[in-house]
Amino acid sequence: MIVFEHVSLEYLPGRYALQDVSFTLNAGSFTFLTGHSGAGKSSLLRLVARLERPTSGDIQVGNIHYNHLRPRQEPALRQQMGIVFQDNQLLLDRSVFDNVAFPLIIGGYKYSDIKTRVSAALSRVGLADKALENPQVLSGGEQQRIGIARAVVARPKLLLADEPTGNLDPDISAEIMQLFMQFNASGVTVLFATHDQGLLDTFGYPRLQLHQGALTGAPLDAPTPRER
Amino acid sequence: MSNEQAANAAGPRWTYGKRGYALSQSLRQLQRHKFASLITLLVLGITLALPVMLLFASSALQQLSTRSIEGESLTAYLQDSISDLDGAALADKWASLPGIRDTRYISRDEALALFRENSDIGAAVDALGANPLPGAIVVFPDSNVLRSGSVESLATTLRKSEAVERLQFDLRWVRRLQAVVSLIQLVGGMLALFLTLTALLVIGNTIRLELLRRRSEMEVASLLGAGSYFMNRPILYIGALYGLLGGVVASIIAVVGFNAIRQPADDLSSLYESTFQLSHPTPSQIGIVLAVSIALGLLGALSSMYRPSQQLTHRGSNGK
Repeated sequence: MIVFEHVSLEYLPGRYALQDVSFTLNAGSFTFLTGHSGAGKSSLLRLVARLERPTSGDIQVGNIHYNHLRPRQEPALRQQMGIVFQDNQLLLDRSVFDNVAFPLIIGGYKYSDIKTRVSAALSRVGLADKALENPQVLSGGEQQRIGIARAVVARPKLLLADEPTGNLDPDISAEIMQLFMQFNASGVTVLFATHDQGLLDTFGYPRLQLHQGALTGAPLDAPTPRER
Repeated sequence: MSNEQAANAAGPRWTYGKRGYALSQSLRQLQRHKFASLITLLVLGITLALPVMLLFASSALQQLSTRSIEGESLTAYLQDSISDLDGAALADKWASLPGIRDTRYISRDEALALFRENSDIGAAVDALGANPLPGAIVVFPDSNVLRSGSVESLATTLRKSEAVERLQFDLRWVRRLQAVVSLIQLVGGMLALFLTLTALLVIGNTIRLELLRRRSEMEVASLLGAGSYFMNRPILYIGALYGLLGGVVASIIAVVGFNAIRQPADDLSSLYESTFQLSHPTPSQIGIVLAVSIALGLLGALSSMYRPSQQLTHRGSNGK
């Protein structure tokens, strides 16, 4: 699903956010992306989401080679993945429903589809009765659920999460984690960045460990990049 | 379980399409910042009002200068010895000369009749017993001859004819009028241009401010995979909207202003026995105004368009 080959990202001359990173994630997998703050987790996710372009190396997601991607095609690519942010990136000038509907409006979905999908996504995260509220009046955990509903509403094959539990209590974090596991169970590939040791210890998913921009630790129990 | 409620969208149905969304966002901006929007529209309206008035008046001004010059003529008074027959023949001959649009022969009898009609001293002429008036040929030069000022050479040619006793023409006041009209048109045109540019800048600036207000929305949209079309549609819509409403305000101001100066202008023109008349703006003129102001709005919006390659957002990143 995701293949990185010798990917480097230089953010200042000589300063690398990521250096020679290679890995392969299979479709349907659930992978933790760990490392200290500043280790390059966000950069890696931003590269996958094509919010950033690598300085060198090749990235392939699905059957799309990013090096062959024209800038105009990048937004459409992002529509095909769901992204959950630590600070949830909700719009406070509109209802929960409209927040979740936003990616569908961008994708040009029909109104009837929008209605069904938003309702379904909100039900799955347990917020069906909050559709018309403003996100501001909801709790942090609920806001993060809106973010998740928005990420999955277009039914992406790939779900990226950038420290989605970073600001939440442990029990709420576990609930959020359960949600991601449910989506993974229905076939969605999940790449979950976190440095929450509690989560890492509780759930034994394979890890991509970043240290100062480079992959360290044991390789994944997935084929190594060279074998692909 | 309130599935029913969840199925209810927060906004009306049309706001969930790409275009509907853009339009509703634009309208929402206007509505949310009513006072600021109103001020902007007034600024646009007042700025555009003068160019609009000039446009409305331009056809009247054009008529004024064309019509006054077209009526202009030279009068060749013929020798007494020339008979009506010869005079008419000469008039026909002249009519075929280059630079002459038309000629008309006025016989001595006709001249007398005209004189009686138009003059208080018609009775005095009767007292003379005989008709003292000569026959005459009125020469209407081509309008390009009149404009280019080559009337003098035409006059010289006509004077050479032995039948002509005296040639009379006076184009000075026409020239003056034309000079004034073209000056008004030039100065007005320059002013209109500057004011239009001002309107353009106002629209561009207003939209840039608006974009600052909507920054978070645009950044989130970009994170969610919105392309430049999606980003730019609301910008263009709001530009067109400002243009349209600004044009409407300008038209209203112009029509009101027009009505205020109509009476004095008519009085003035009747003093000069002119047919000059300010007419109400036609629907097509108003159409032009609105089309141009919408185009201005779009143009102003173009200057603040979202350029995706330059604006990879950094939102959503928390540290490297």
